[in-house]
Amino acid sequence: MSHLLDRLKYLVRYHESFSDGHGVKLQDDRLWEDAYRHRWRYDKVVRTTHGVNCTGGCSWNVHVKNGLVVFEMQAHDYPQTRPDLPNHEPRGCQRGASFSWYLYSPHRIKYPMIRARLLELYRHERATGKDPVEAWRAIQEDPKKRSSYIAVRGLGGFVRSSWDEINEIIAAANIYTILRYGPDRIAGFSVIPAMSMISYAAGTRYLSLIGGVPLSFYDWYCDLPPSSPQVWGEQTDVPESADWYNSTYIIVAGTNIPATRTPDAHFYSEVRYKGTKVVAIAPDYAEYVKFADEWLPVRAGTDAALFLAMGHVVLQEFFLQKKASYFQDYARQFTDLPMQILLRPLDDTRYTSDRFLRASDFDNQLGQNENPEWKTIVYDSKSESYRCPKGSIGFRWSQTEGNWNLLQEDATTNEYIEAELSCLGLQDIVLQVVFPDYGNSDGQAKLVERKIPARRLQTTHGEQFVCSVFDLLLAQYGVNRAEIEGTTDANYTDSNQLFTPAWQQGITGIPQENCIRIAQEFAENAVLTQGKSMVIVGAGTNHWYHNDMNYRSIINLVHLCGCVGQSGGGWAHYVGQEALRPQAGWLPLAFAGDWHLHSRQAAGTSYWYLHTDQWRYERVTADSLMHPAAKASYKGHTLADYNIVAERLGWLPAAPHFQSNPLDIAEAASQDSKGVADYVAHELHNGHLTFASEDIDHQENWPRNLFVWRSNLIGTNAKGHEYFLKHLLGAENAVLGEDGSGRASQEIQWHEKAPVGKLDLMIDINFRLNSTGAYADIILPTATWYEKDDLNTTDMHPFIHPLGAAVDPGWESRSDWQIFRHLAKSFSTLAEKHLGKRKDLLAISLLHDTPNELGQAVGVSDWKREGKIPEPGRTCPNFEIVERDYPHIYEQYSSIGPLLATHGNGAKGEHWETGQEISELLAINGTFPSSGKGKEDARPSLESDINACNMVLHLSPETNGEVAHKGWLSLSTKTGLSLTKLANDRRGEKFSFHDLQVQPRKVISSPSWSGLMSEEVSYNAGYVNVHYATPYRTLTGRGQFYLDHEWMLDFGEGLCTYRPPLTTHAVAGLPEAIAQQGGIVLRFLTPHDKWGIHSTYHDDLRMMHLSRGGPHIWLSEKDADQLKISDNDWLEAVNENGALMARAVVSQRIPEGVAIMYHQQEKTLNVPGAPSTGKRGGINNSATRVIVKPTHMIGGYAQLAWTLNYYGPVGSQRDAEVLIRKVNDAQISWMEKQLGSDLETELRQAVEESQ
Amino acid sequence: MIWSWNTFLFGIYPYIAGTIFLLGSIIRYEREQAGWTSYSSQILASKRYMMWASNLWHIGILTLFLGHFTGFLTDILEWLGLDPVEHQWLAASAGITAGVVAMVGGVMLLLRRVLDPKVRYASRPMDIIILVWLLITLCFGLGTQFISVPEVIHDHVQNMEILIHYVRSIAEFQANPQLIINIPLIYKVHMFCGFTVFLLFPFSRLVHIWTAPLNYVVRPYQLVRSKIRSVV
Repeated sequence: MSHLLDRLKYLVRYHESFSDGHGVKLQDDRLWEDAYRHRWRYDKVVRTTHGVNCTGGCSWNVHVKNGLVVFEMQAHDYPQTRPDLPNHEPRGCQRGASFSWYLYSPHRIKYPMIRARLLELYRHERATGKDPVEAWRAIQEDPKKRSSYIAVRGLGGFVRSSWDEINEIIAAANIYTILRYGPDRIAGFSVIPAMSMISYAAGTRYLSLIGGVPLSFYDWYCDLPPSSPQVWGEQTDVPESADWYNSTYIIVAGTNIPATRTPDAHFYSEVRYKGTKVVAIAPDYAEYVKFADEWLPVRAGTDAALFLAMGHVVLQEFFLQKKASYFQDYARQFTDLPMQILLRPLDDTRYTSDRFLRASDFDNQLGQNENPEWKTIVYDSKSESYRCPKGSIGFRWSQTEGNWNLLQEDATTNEYIEAELSCLGLQDIVLQVVFPDYGNSDGQAKLVERKIPARRLQTTHGEQFVCSVFDLLLAQYGVNRAEIEGTTDANYTDSNQLFTPAWQQGITGIPQENCIRIAQEFAENAVLTQGKSMVIVGAGTNHWYHNDMNYRSIINLVHLCGCVGQSGGGWAHYVGQEALRPQAGWLPLAFAGDWHLHSRQAAGTSYWYLHTDQWRYERVTADSLMHPAAKASYKGHTLADYNIVAERLGWLPAAPHFQSNPLDIAEAASQDSKGVADYVAHELHNGHLTFASEDIDHQENWPRNLFVWRSNLIGTNAKGHEYFLKHLLGAENAVLGEDGSGRASQEIQWHEKAPVGKLDLMIDINFRLNSTGAYADIILPTATWYEKDDLNTTDMHPFIHPLGAAVDPGWESRSDWQIFRHLAKSFSTLAEKHLGKRKDLLAISLLHDTPNELGQAVGVSDWKREGKIPEPGRTCPNFEIVERDYPHIYEQYSSIGPLLATHGNGAKGEHWETGQEISELLAINGTFPSSGKGKEDARPSLESDINACNMVLHLSPETNGEVAHKGWLSLSTKTGLSLTKLANDRRGEKFSFHDLQVQPRKVISSPSWSGLMSEEVSYNAGYVNVHYATPYRTLTGRGQFYLDHEWMLDFGEGLCTYRPPLTTHAVAGLPEAIAQQGGIVLRFLTPHDKWGIHSTYHDDLRMMHLSRGGPHIWLSEKDADQLKISDNDWLEAVNENGALMARAVVSQRIPEGVAIMYHQQEKTLNVPGAPSTGKRGGINNSATRVIVKPTHMIGGYAQLAWTLNYYGPVGSQRDAEVLIRKVNDAQISWMEKQLGSDLETELRQAVEESQ
Repeated sequence: MIWSWNTFLFGIYPYIAGTIFLLGSIIRYEREQAGWTSYSSQILASKRYMMWASNLWHIGILTLFLGHFTGFLTDILEWLGLDPVEHQWLAASAGITAGVVAMVGGVMLLLRRVLDPKVRYASRPMDIIILVWLLITLCFGLGTQFISVPEVIHDHVQNMEILIHYVRSIAEFQANPQLIINIPLIYKVHMFCGFTVFLLFPFSRLVHIWTAPLNYVVRPYQLVRSKIRSVV
């Protein structure tokens, strides 16, 4: 009743003591406890998750009180999976638990914001009577006006505006750009759709409808492992985390499971209670090392050497000595090891491996009339003859269906064949074959000679020598074979022989005995368990320039041990690899496939490498990366040149396509009698039409408008951050190097003056103010993950669950779906007058999983060099006309278009009709009002976010059992296998958005994925291939050890080899004045953090309190000693790419020679000026510059074919080196002065001069 | 009683201050359980510095409080056989010592509160006001000794006796402000400041005095609370 009176009871106080008077029981007032009860009291609970770029996919309950989100709790009501498997839940980590802070934080974007100077200019033009598009033109075509807002990007100056006004400005900018330059000058960047797929689809749907360019991201931030498409033709397909629990031997290399896979890490520790051995490979004492039974502290970036040596041991002991039959059978059926390859003579005595032998090399084509050049060959040891087995890519795109499978049968006769692994003993000859060795201390590639057994073969082009991939592999791995080398003794201790355990010791620092022992254990375990040995990998191994070598060395090991596709075994890549499970339903939503058969897309890495002019500073030459015995038909080409060649051959997409406006080309093409494709091919041939990339710095070819949503391009993804600031944005920057080296280009027109400030308009859509917003011109407030309805999946678990609107979007924010819908409305209104209906020409590269992946089978024919007319769809891109109904973009955005019902749907090469589902969606979603003229015209509505969710759910095999059935039926027809049984038990299931709100659902097994979602097994990549004989989507149809494309062989990567970290020369390029100031050079590693997911949460007050709360770099004690740095001192990291400031964390955990800066600590918080540049310290990417790799540009070649986020150059950054030195506190400047007129003049001048 | 400033300040004001002190404390205790705290900022400052500052301050100020209380309101010293002059000697010497100790501690606390940016940022206005006010009161208290000490040297203790009578008249609810009409001004200022401390008390962090955890000295190690009462 009264706190005071309750205390005043000295006369009645009842003392009951216990424990000999050490304790006493009171009858105090306990009302104070209610304060804590109130803290956790709430009005309602809504299920949602965090749409951050994280693979967690954790279901959370958000609690709302008085209309505000008060706290979030982990949901723990996932469906039960299998008996004897630990539960998946609770899922969620410290980061997700702190998210509600953001909703009401000072960073929250509450209103549509715009750069004040731009708004003034625009209002001024409008006030003079100009219409919006004219007003925008007036600003853009006056260099003074343009520079006034462009040059001050990043320096503040935002004001509030209204949605209507802002939408009008963006629409006007888009329309002006379409008219003046072409729609392919409008681009959009957003990452990982799986985390909030409707929000992703919002922007890409808008862009795809107007003809803009959604850019790939997975390759750009280097989480895409190119090795996966190279080996399996699959983007990334990995076991769910529960499958770790099925493993009996696990090696973890370069993925910090407890820190970055927090909700899944329990499986990693639980499996150890079953007796599973865990080996950790890491240069530093990382969190995951603590869980391990054994730690192999390799030198950073040398993992491949260790794994290759392990492969050496496995080949020697398990293939040659023990002849483990499980391994051999597996290799015969599921890998390309028995495939035959041609040997190319170098000189009189030496040979090098060339391409795969094909059916077309035989006079009778081995009975194969369709695509014989795309069918690879084995030697059948039963009939002692060359045979064309089923399953290679030629069978995939063939009129005769049913032979695309991995049954061990001859495709012509259907006879059982036993593919021979090695011809040793039966060979015609033993040849000297050379292999490249890149692991030399002087950095020069040398040739290593090995002996190999081979057969003579009469081919259509004369007598050739052939051998199997297996024989080639044994030779390259340096394994001794008695019949050739005269000894079968293992040569483990020969440190001069490539890939021996002793050789790796010199590179990795791991004692050879440990290497041998772990290899033996790993393989022995695989023999005993039929493949339950697993290697878990991630950013630590994949973010290097030669990431494909790192990974292929590992994949070779797990393939040799028959682990891929086996429960608890295989290759498990965990970095950025989220799986968008309901892909088939989502693709048409995201890329407007319901309205247009084709959409424009581009490769992120190429786009940024060229448009941010990083190519102008390239110090790495392509020639220095080559095989010394390469054919090298492009010798002397720069790395950027390879990209240009790849674009014109149709391998990589080009954005913009051409120097001309695609609307104009389309107009001309459709009036030409030759037909569109022929017209464009001729124009290219006669030089009237040129690729934009050939003069990338020309004003006509600049990107003009850029949308960034669900991402932090500038603050997180911008490898070469300072180059983005300089060339793309025209902002103040700290580029320190000189750009002359780009002059060496043979394909790109050189401009002495580099462009500064290419973008007319950058739009950031976000709920918090980060670096991208700071450099944007317009910031739109979006709903947080607690304020919108969306879908979320991950490959770490088999469930699909929703994001749910617990509260309405705060202040004036809107969900992404609604932001772009309203923008589409403004666009349509303005387009009525300015655009109307237009034809648009698309140049589409030779996409993977389409018949176009059969491009050039043998050799590379370059039409331009050879003076030929290009063949669209084979030697150059496909050209297609798309009709754009610009005044009706809004209607198209808001309803499901007619193409799905008429053309069907599909994914990854499978196809099925889906008219039934579309008519059901009419009832589920209702019709879009203005489209419903009559019953015939009625289209399902996409007005609300939930409508969009239901479209995805209803059209996808993973969430609609009937569609799954159709999908498996499609694959059954193609493979001749009976596969519909794989999802028959769930054929009647259909999920709707509200079902997911009640409980996350386990998705249905689908042909879009290579593993099963069954009650019997955990999801594991390749499971269906290995258990049901469906082929991999590769050239041979098998997992590939060997890649025979000419460019692969040119760069010495036909077989996996060891390639040390790249020498980037970035520190050497520093201006002398800066270099002279001392410091030491350290390898700059940027792994993922415990206190943030990329840049998100680093500025969250709760996480800042738990961590250092500002940028920091970890150093070893010895390096810190040498630099006289103690813990928490300021330090500067600098190279020619820029400079950054951080505080030191000095720790025994870190090995010497390495600096670890957890990415992505932004410069929006606690970052002072850097003494070297006099500008504010940057982010970790201020010290990086992207360097592209030509082998990633190969296209139109089965699995080596570009598709968005599938294959293409990756933006690696881990090879970076920085100069680190101490900065005294007295030198710290927080740079809080106002913008001076000197600086402004200088910045504006740079922008104006380049226009 | 005839109205005069003297009557108001020393006849009425003490009761206003006392009423606010008591009622204010009760109301705050009833309404703001979660705000009933000393608002300690000890965590924000150097341990060494605070060890000196806080201890000097608390020891000094508690000694002064005890001294005033026994000296003015009890006859303990008389019972112990001290005559008024000896009483005054004791009061002056103990008072000056404790006063200086409290002054050193208090100034240290004030400097830290104002100059340390973290502490400054964490301070409520009242934290600074009350500390400054206590120091002012203390200054005047020490200032009275410039009169008291010369007097006691000459065995004059009249002022002290008047003040004892006056203070007791207040305590006995028979306020007689006329008694001190001729007392030197500095005593009056000191007393006014002192009464005002009571006035400010319930609005400040001083409330922690009410609930100083004295029972920690004697309580059992483990306390458990009964479930029976007040759990809703």
